[in-house]
Amino acid sequence: MSEREAGVAVAEAPIELVVNGETYRLRVQSNWSLQHVLHNELGLTGAKDFCDRGVCGSCAVIMEGRPILSCMTLAIECDGKAIETVEGIAKANHPLIEAYVKHHCMQCGYCTPGFVVTAKALLAKNPDPGEEEVKEALAGNLCRCGTYPQHVKAVLEAANNLRRG
Amino acid sequence: MIVMVEEIQDMPVNPVEHDKYIPEEFNAVGRRGIRRLDGYEKASGKAVYTRDVQLPGMVYARMLMSPYAHARIKSMDTGKAEAMPGFRYVLKYDDPEVKKWKALHAEESDVFDLLPDTAYFEGQPLGAVVVAETEEMATEALKLIAVEWEERPFVLDQEEALKPGAPLARPDLNPDDNRHGLYDLWYFNQHYGPNPWPIVFKEGDVEEGFKEADKVIEFKARKQYHTWAGVEPISCVARWLEDNLEIWVHHQCPYTSKEELAEKLGIPMGKIKMYCLYQGAMFGGWTWQSWGYAPHILTALVARRVERPVKLVLNARESHFYGGDIDHAVHHLKVGAKNDGTITAVQIKGVFANAPPGWIPYNGIVHFHENTRVHNLFLENRGAFVNVGPTAAYRCEQTPNALCITLVFNYVADALGLDPTDVALKNDGSHGKDMTYLSEFKRDHGFPIRDSLKECIEAGKKAMDWEQKWHKPGTKRLPNGKYHGMAFCWSHEWTDTSGVGVAGVRIERDGSVAVLSLHSDIGVSAVTAYAQIVADELGVRYEDITFRPFYDVTFFLAVPGASKNLTANGYVVRKAAKKAKRRLLELATKTGEYATHIYKPLFEGMKWDDLDVRDNMVYVKADPSRKVPVKEVVEVGRYGFGATHGPVYGWAWHTQGIYLGEAALRHPLCRQAHFMEVEVDPETGEVEITKVVNVNDVGKAINPEACEGQQYGGTYMGAGRNKFEEVIWDPQTGVKLNADLLNYKVPTILDCGPIETILVETGMGWGPYGSVGIAEDVATMVDGLMGPAVYNAIGKRIDDYPITPDKVLQALGKGSE
Repeated sequence: MSEREAGVAVAEAPIELVVNGETYRLRVQSNWSLQHVLHNELGLTGAKDFCDRGVCGSCAVIMEGRPILSCMTLAIECDGKAIETVEGIAKANHPLIEAYVKHHCMQCGYCTPGFVVTAKALLAKNPDPGEEEVKEALAGNLCRCGTYPQHVKAVLEAANNLRRG
Repeated sequence: MIVMVEEIQDMPVNPVEHDKYIPEEFNAVGRRGIRRLDGYEKASGKAVYTRDVQLPGMVYARMLMSPYAHARIKSMDTGKAEAMPGFRYVLKYDDPEVKKWKALHAEESDVFDLLPDTAYFEGQPLGAVVVAETEEMATEALKLIAVEWEERPFVLDQEEALKPGAPLARPDLNPDDNRHGLYDLWYFNQHYGPNPWPIVFKEGDVEEGFKEADKVIEFKARKQYHTWAGVEPISCVARWLEDNLEIWVHHQCPYTSKEELAEKLGIPMGKIKMYCLYQGAMFGGWTWQSWGYAPHILTALVARRVERPVKLVLNARESHFYGGDIDHAVHHLKVGAKNDGTITAVQIKGVFANAPPGWIPYNGIVHFHENTRVHNLFLENRGAFVNVGPTAAYRCEQTPNALCITLVFNYVADALGLDPTDVALKNDGSHGKDMTYLSEFKRDHGFPIRDSLKECIEAGKKAMDWEQKWHKPGTKRLPNGKYHGMAFCWSHEWTDTSGVGVAGVRIERDGSVAVLSLHSDIGVSAVTAYAQIVADELGVRYEDITFRPFYDVTFFLAVPGASKNLTANGYVVRKAAKKAKRRLLELATKTGEYATHIYKPLFEGMKWDDLDVRDNMVYVKADPSRKVPVKEVVEVGRYGFGATHGPVYGWAWHTQGIYLGEAALRHPLCRQAHFMEVEVDPETGEVEITKVVNVNDVGKAINPEACEGQQYGGTYMGAGRNKFEEVIWDPQTGVKLNADLLNYKVPTILDCGPIETILVETGMGWGPYGSVGIAEDVATMVDGLMGPAVYNAIGKRIDDYPITPDKVLQALGKGSE
């Protein structure tokens, strides 16, 4: 193979990921982003590509409790990490999902999973955020449809529902 | 009211036809708390978009992109790329099959070849489509293509382009100069005759109007080039099965794309299976680019050549910065007004960059024509070719009109020392006629007689505390040291019922209901609204209705993605529901026959119109206690594999309507008003939008939360256009300097203060239930509102959008030259 001559990075490595509680053993190329692995290899298409440079938050996933941009993270560096995607948040029936539906926090919906992921990470850290804290947390997520005010309502409502159990 | 069935399905095509069959009560229509049908899929990450599609054995295609603002490919050597492992195919500009096709979709915008050999702007896809085993390999292969370029001179500014001796931007379309719109277009020939230049629109006599005026004001306004940057980058997936094509597209008008594909590929439409999944928002943008269908055709072509499924992938730069909005223009305005605020004449002379010629004849003056009593109007527009990429209508084609009406009313009010809301009310009307005339018109044509603008202004002023807060320009400094400013704008709600639509309503054997229609979703919650309408028309619960998308694009809808979902397609599903209902009631009164069984009618001796449906029950109108569930009506005679009747199915179409204002008598009657409050920091030039109030008379809100979503979203989009959205080119090279979302700013949640949304429902829209579309309106109206607000704050005019801090500092005399 002469991929190297063509300039395509070819080094591969085995990694293990725990995604939404399930363990995956994968061989990943060194240039693959985590977003590529989740989206193309595992079929978890909730992590979207929009800006392709870490600006929009559409590819957000939670890694070890922190929201990260999966398009800016190399999969090869995630060996052994626990990752939660929007699919996992939905499967766990997190109240954010129903609050998002109720408050029309989506128009085209392409960026919505990234918001849900960011909001979930916020609520895990801060179960009782104020309006300004919600805005601050979501400031790294771009929604071209401009659904922003509806997210604030939904996140505050979901927080309330979570606290009441 | 069953009697409506025949009348509404046979609504004649007539310029003043509208919905005269408005029910007295609603159930699902207009109700808050309806669970949107696409909500869970989108919130949970399960909604699938074209970008997400992967097929077994799929290979990837990427396109070459021009590094120059204007250049021709002299020669191309793909040898190195072809030698690369993983390389599968390259389709080149000199391929006989692509060379056959020159112009695509030429009536809307600039003309580009299917696979051009010449670039007219930096970032234009051209020359080659490379197919390789992976996306990375395809991208690498592109880099290995050696191109010998012939660089050509370029021009970026539309006013410069029209000066003698300017470099020729599109010599293929105009070899003499940069005048745009001179070439042979069917649209022009049809409406204006060949070669109109400049394009003139005239009503009354502006010179007389200026003579009548107490004040004549002149000013110049400009909007810089901004782009749609709509989330999901463009991709297309194609797979052939013998001579049958399966194709996944990201496009708001998939049906017309299917027509285009069939023509270019030389196959029957019946052999194309086209899927339009959920779509990242594009606000019209890519759809209206003349080159917008090209990715579909090119993907299908290379998939046929390589005999593998192919996914063509454009990246964010190629997608979001291919073209911009049609309001990239300079307007020279002259307005005459009397001291009482009566506007006597409006004259606008505009120069548009690469504007779709079809829109130039309107842009600037139309809102004065359609919704004011001003009868002296003059428009003279010029289009110029420049090397910055095409422009198209993206939320929406009315942006230049909105900017002009916003600025004119604010200039007039300011010059006369009047409140701009009073000046608006003084000049409200339509087609040069005043409100007295419009009241008579409403009465004569069966509309409610309400003063929409007055209602909108009163509601908005109250929400904004306008009376208390309104002040003279540059007179209010806040304790935080910033200047406080306010502004108001208004216009009509313009989205009308024009276009064609087809939909079906089917009642399953268990009584559940499916709406069948073309799926082309960019987020306006259309399918939910369809289901609400069908619930009410059929008399069943909203929860029993599902949307069965025709992913295979067959049911033609004119603008299915966005603008006319309700105003045109709302009629369609309503009519289909009525037809299904009639079929259901006929079934309830008929004998059911099966080979071995005869079933007596459920309502023996009755006619279908003796019955009605409510709460999922078919009942006798004269005796509502006699009732049978819908389920039992449709399943009558279920016997093994047998049935006594065909499916209960109604399908309908819609051809009603004309673009609002095109017909002299089709006066727009619903209005909108928007209010903005800003704080301007005199030290940094930063403008903060601290509050916005949107008031939209939508006629009838079918789904109030979806309407509010359009208000919120439109305001944010407008905030970005006011504050910072602008593509910047290097004047030396013609290369875009900020063609990515890191450097081209779109609004975040922090870029606008609280937004208060108010919906007014006068029932005076021309759409179903007296509705009128809202999705285009708010972004379009709000995007010029910050100029007057900043003027009100600092007392200096900045009519060059976006209003960036450097311009504010310049206006305050603090900038460097």
